[in-house]
Amino acid sequence: MSRRLLVVALGVLTAIGGFVDAGDLVTNAVVGSRFGLSLVWVVAVGVVGICVFAHMSGKVAAVSGRATFEIIRERLGPTAAGLNLLASLAVTVLTLVAEVGGIALALQLASSVDHRLWVPVAALALWLVLWRVKFSVMENAAGLLGLALVGFAVAVFLLGPDWAELGAQVAQRSAATETGATYWYFAVALFGAAMTPYEVFFFSSGGVEEGWGTKDLATSRLNVLVGFPLGGLLSVAIAASAAVVLLPAGIAVDSMAQLTLPVAQAGGTLLVAVVIVGLVAATSGAAIETTLSTGYTLAQYLGWSWGKFRRPAEAPRFHLAMIVALVVAVGVLMTNVDPIAVTEYSVVFSAVALPLTYVPILVVANDPEYMGEHVNGRVMNFLGTVYLVILVVAAVAAIPLMIVTEAGG
Amino acid sequence: MIASDLLDVRVLDAGGTPVGWVVDLRFVLDGPPDGRLAGARLHGLVVSPRTRSSFLGYERSRVRHPWPIAPLVRRRHRGTFLAHWEDVARVPDRDDGTDPEREPVVVLQVGYTRYTAGL
Repeated sequence: MSRRLLVVALGVLTAIGGFVDAGDLVTNAVVGSRFGLSLVWVVAVGVVGICVFAHMSGKVAAVSGRATFEIIRERLGPTAAGLNLLASLAVTVLTLVAEVGGIALALQLASSVDHRLWVPVAALALWLVLWRVKFSVMENAAGLLGLALVGFAVAVFLLGPDWAELGAQVAQRSAATETGATYWYFAVALFGAAMTPYEVFFFSSGGVEEGWGTKDLATSRLNVLVGFPLGGLLSVAIAASAAVVLLPAGIAVDSMAQLTLPVAQAGGTLLVAVVIVGLVAATSGAAIETTLSTGYTLAQYLGWSWGKFRRPAEAPRFHLAMIVALVVAVGVLMTNVDPIAVTEYSVVFSAVALPLTYVPILVVANDPEYMGEHVNGRVMNFLGTVYLVILVVAAVAAIPLMIVTEAGG
Repeated sequence: MIASDLLDVRVLDAGGTPVGWVVDLRFVLDGPPDGRLAGARLHGLVVSPRTRSSFLGYERSRVRHPWPIAPLVRRRHRGTFLAHWEDVARVPDRDDGTDPEREPVVVLQVGYTRYTAGL
């Protein structure tokens, strides 16, 4: 039984980095406190989209043994793939900055010690984990502990909300006190977070780390179908808890500490403690995901040996790249910037990285030289193409929306 | 010479008429063993007449999926051919004393053959 559970840890951890990492934790609560549940449909659309492309990237990794950025480099050539590398690294490292800051903020909630003092401790702990701990142990621990975020769903039930009222919010397409532009800015931000490119880099590389072969296609599918919907549910639970408590009270969320307000009201200290464990685990998990993704993308583009399954001496540049990423993250945080605000600018880079990542995956998933009998069927191709169009529209719309609304105002 | 010296470079025929850009290099593994694989030998250049963007691997096969990406990419790259390495007369060389301001070019032999780029 426990083996069955742990087999989906990769999918769960990948989804945590997409749906409930530091930036998204706050965004979900902001959305709940300002728009109620009227943006839940975006999360649903995002879950289906990331399932489609993570499924393809996992399938390609299992059948051909190639991770996503190796395919990008091979199919796009050095110039276009290099552009994708720069944009993806920008998104990934900005997110890593937010995660290290997020771990520190979560530890401040637990300890009342200032978060700036926790930053170097968090980064050092991350480095030790990445240097010494096996991939499977990392993904199991972060994935399982991150599930403590289910505390938000428990809180929603304990609060005993008016379910009819919540249901009515789901059907709304606006909020009384908000403009249409801010509604669509948050719609695009939630969708972009769900489809963020480092998820497929991490998921496909993780498949290679675990030694997936054609016999593991079912494992890959199970990881996708359990992990991402679960991530989506957690993100909706956070928005719902904020919609039940903070929206009627007119409290607009602007920090991670406010996430725990509805939880405290619903379940007291005990539930808050559970949720804080979840916050630390989710931000740590997302930090592990983004640090590894930095190493994976650089190494796969430049042809270095990579992987946690190799000892640091056998993949020195891969391990060094991760250290550099962590040092950069600490350096940025030491300037006292707001770590959550940093992630808002990643949408600009996502606009470049998203199409340049998902087009090669879709193309290779159709190549019988790589995939043999496992090439995409019509339904996957149809979904993949539809989502590419949505992605491009959302990615292009994100930048003017960000400027007009001043990043959600 | 490294692969980047050839990729994305303009291709001229012997008369100086542009015929396209190098979009990929075609290697064969038939050399003496180098590690676990046979050594790679440069077989030829994949030349696309209209664009220096990537052909996304479609030049190697007859794959027509997914719609509409495959048809669009094939249309943009129509007329792509393989020029054998023996048919290449001149390659860009940073040390050959030519004007560094000038665009690097690959020049093909007189009477070179346009082979199909498919495998």
